Amino acid sequence: MQREFDASVPSTEPLTPALFHVLLALADGDKHGYAIMKEVHRLTAGAANLSAGTLYGILRRLLEAGLVTEVSSRPAPELDDERRRYYHLTKSGHAAAQAETERLEATLAIARSKRFRLKARTS
Amino acid sequence: MSPARSNRVLQFFLRLLPADFRQEYGREIESDFRHQAREAGATPGGAARLWRSTIAGIVRTAPSEHFRILRQDLGYAWRMMRRSPGYSFAVIFILALGLGANTAIFSAVDGVLLRPLPYPGGDRLVTLTQGAPLAGAADMRFSVDDINDYRQQTHTLEDLVEYHNMQFDLLGQGDPRRVNTGVVSHNFFDALGVKPLYGRTFVAADDSIGAPAVLVLSYEFWKRDFGGDPGIVGRTFRMNDRIHTVIGVLPPMPQYPDQNDLYMPVSACPFRSAPAFIANRKARMMTVFGHLRPGVTLAQSEQELKTIAARLRTSYPAAYPASADFSTHADLVKASLTNPARPTLLLLLATSGLMLFIVCANVANLNLTRHVRRERELAVRAALGAGRARLLRQMITESALLSLIGCGLGVMMAKAALPLLAGFAARFTPRATEITLNIDVLAFSLGLALLAGLFFGALPALASGRDLAEPLRAVGGRTATGRSGRFRGLLVGAQVAFAFLLLAGAGLLLRSFYNLTQVNPGFRSDHVVSMLVQLNFARYATNDKVVQFNRRLLQEVQRNPAVLSAATASTFPLNAVRPRIAAFEIQGRQRGPNEPAPTFDFHSVSPGYFKTMGIAMLAGRQFSPDDALNTPDVVIINRSMQDRYWPHHDAIGHSISTDGKNWAMIVGIVDNVKSYGLDKPPGDELYASNAQSPSNSSSLLVQTRGDPAAVVPQLTAAVHQIDPDQPVAKIRTLESLRDDSLAPARLTGTLLGLLALLALAITAAGIGGVLGLEVAQRTKEIGIRMTLGARRSDVIGGIVRQGLTPVAFGLAAGCGVAIVSTNALQGILFRVEPRDPAVLALVALALLSAAAVACLGPVRRAVSVDPMRTLRLE
Repeated sequence: MQREFDASVPSTEPLTPALFHVLLALADGDKHGYAIMKEVHRLTAGAANLSAGTLYGILRRLLEAGLVTEVSSRPAPELDDERRRYYHLTKSGHAAAQAETERLEATLAIARSKRFRLKARTS
Repeated sequence: MSPARSNRVLQFFLRLLPADFRQEYGREIESDFRHQAREAGATPGGAARLWRSTIAGIVRTAPSEHFRILRQDLGYAWRMMRRSPGYSFAVIFILALGLGANTAIFSAVDGVLLRPLPYPGGDRLVTLTQGAPLAGAADMRFSVDDINDYRQQTHTLEDLVEYHNMQFDLLGQGDPRRVNTGVVSHNFFDALGVKPLYGRTFVAADDSIGAPAVLVLSYEFWKRDFGGDPGIVGRTFRMNDRIHTVIGVLPPMPQYPDQNDLYMPVSACPFRSAPAFIANRKARMMTVFGHLRPGVTLAQSEQELKTIAARLRTSYPAAYPASADFSTHADLVKASLTNPARPTLLLLLATSGLMLFIVCANVANLNLTRHVRRERELAVRAALGAGRARLLRQMITESALLSLIGCGLGVMMAKAALPLLAGFAARFTPRATEITLNIDVLAFSLGLALLAGLFFGALPALASGRDLAEPLRAVGGRTATGRSGRFRGLLVGAQVAFAFLLLAGAGLLLRSFYNLTQVNPGFRSDHVVSMLVQLNFARYATNDKVVQFNRRLLQEVQRNPAVLSAATASTFPLNAVRPRIAAFEIQGRQRGPNEPAPTFDFHSVSPGYFKTMGIAMLAGRQFSPDDALNTPDVVIINRSMQDRYWPHHDAIGHSISTDGKNWAMIVGIVDNVKSYGLDKPPGDELYASNAQSPSNSSSLLVQTRGDPAAVVPQLTAAVHQIDPDQPVAKIRTLESLRDDSLAPARLTGTLLGLLALLALAITAAGIGGVLGLEVAQRTKEIGIRMTLGARRSDVIGGIVRQGLTPVAFGLAAGCGVAIVSTNALQGILFRVEPRDPAVLALVALALLSAAAVACLGPVRRAVSVDPMRTLRLE
């Protein structure tokens, strides 16, 4: 089932799933907006789908919070699209993603201690 | 969908996002969407899903982005306000005055004119009137048989209920009191949909013969006379020699057609419940209310009422003589309640609207002035990437913040002024009790504040031209573009024009009021006091007893050395009690078959009435103690009646009759008096001696040597000496009645005058402020001109010309519009033409003078420029 995520301003508080997925998408390298959308789609096996209308609102917040920055270096001209900007995960962004990962793992451990298990996916 | 169309639709939705967000990310969003669209097109339903998710994303993102910008702008606006406290305070205060006035007056317009009546189905509530125009009676009222017939025969009306008003003595609580009593059908309040505040209203059993007598109190009476005591239900009082029990209290509501103290069912009224009255089709006393049935129009009901009236005329010719031309029509109660107040309230609303425009124009000019000082700051921000739309949005936010704070202050001012305004409106309509600051009024106020903020916030941006960076390229600091200066001049001219309209309207009304004060009312109003003495119908059931009481009362009163003269009368000028209108015939004259019967206003008075009231005797004699029940009837008429019916000779010696059998001789002619209002023409009036035509309801009128109020306790004692159970009511001096009759004109004129003066002050301040800025900006130019030999007089002339040119245009425009629009005031002016040249000239002079005074400061500043110092600074 495809669903849209709500965005919220990232801070020391827990990140929304949409924000977290964008940070994860940038974790292995700089990307432009469309590539981020594709990566999120791939990482979640199609369960999450960021639209253009949502993504750039998230990116603006991440830029404002310093978790992401625009990069000036661009790929080779034959691979470049001048309309696109490339985004880079900063150290703060990395730390925020790390903190969120640890928080989610701790939550998962609590759930498992209560005998909750992952269900096998049927589709 | 084609790519071009798809792009247009996407652009449409992108407009939901803030302009700078679109500027920043718009191209990327479009590009990414196109890529997604190519991929989505390959799967079934993919395109639709993509559109849904894209639009949903934009719709979700837009509010938070707008809110983020709003937070930024509000923070910036707050800092700017604190940096310019003088400007901020001036703007907030001026806006508060304008918005407060509009809020207060709109609350009156809303409560009286716009809101539906506070009864379910109030918009369909009608009152029926049965008239006999050819008998000279516009309102004959209805008899019991009339009401039953209309109730049975109508298909367009439902819930027909009856009402009439009487005054009775209420005993059992302190001094005996005369109370205004509404006598109603048992289902009267059910038909109106009125639920009691305490207890219950009437039921069918209350109206049956022999049922215990019950009362329902009005809210105002209960609060005023019983302190709002919830324990009032169950208390008993004596009225009409019966014990009455209070069964309920009404909620606050506009009472129509009379302000009653209490209500009783028809079975409790000794007159209405008398078998002879019930059986007499011609015994007409009641008013009828009803509702239009759903889907029925007033016109349809009118048609049916005509048909029923015609049927009754045919069935009962004796009760509905053809010569009288009986007919019945219906009127919406809402119109009757609101029409008297409509012209004045709409005039006040127009006035406050004009004043608000002047306020906004003035604030816009202040803002333009301030904008000139901020041009470099804005230019720097534009150069750093802020778009024009972004800067405009921020300026509007700053203005809206000031406007909203001004609105809050204005609403508080309006709340404080509301009791005064309601008191003013109460003179015109009982709906004044519904004037409140409700959610509709607050929404109106908020809407006005936002519009005002938009107006004076956007104006500097419109005035500054498209190139925001231009000030950075300008040499020598501050600039004032010609465009901005033209806008300022335009605003000054507009303020002057609107101020002219306001001042002209106020001037006309005040002149009208002055003319009213100069009217000779035809009677003496100083040193005369009146009190209503309504005799109990049961204890004073015969004419003899009434005549004896009145005679004894006058004897007692005239013993008082402070009393110069005394009289009793059924009514007197400017009194709330209207005289009875009677049709008559003149002995020896025949009336044509379709000619309406002549009528007069009937007064029953004692000898000494004309002396006490200072009404001039023009011919013949006054009433004397010899005019008695057993002597031939005599009457006195006024000059109006003499001129109308005996234009060529004296009426004295002629006889008139109201029933064709009993004739009364005219023995005297008195001058006209202004009975219905100082601005109303006198009617035809006939006076009979109250020894020959006694009335249970009379007013005692006493002319005193000194302060009339000082003798009131003695007069009351004189009444109680004759009858300890006899209440007195409506104690007023005639001076206060005359003041009351002038009050609406005085209050309206004063209110408009105050608003107009305020508008004048604001306009003058605006002229001075704008001219001051112009002088400040031209300091260098003035210094250079003086160095080159220009005289001070040339400089002064230039400044004054610059200041007064927009004023002159404004005067011309204002005068032109005033000449056309003041016709709307025709209906409320008294002996003043709407285009009165003296008023218009005075207004023009006042505005020119105010403008000239406003120019003094800038002129002084201009002539104090030191040319050498200016050159050194360059």
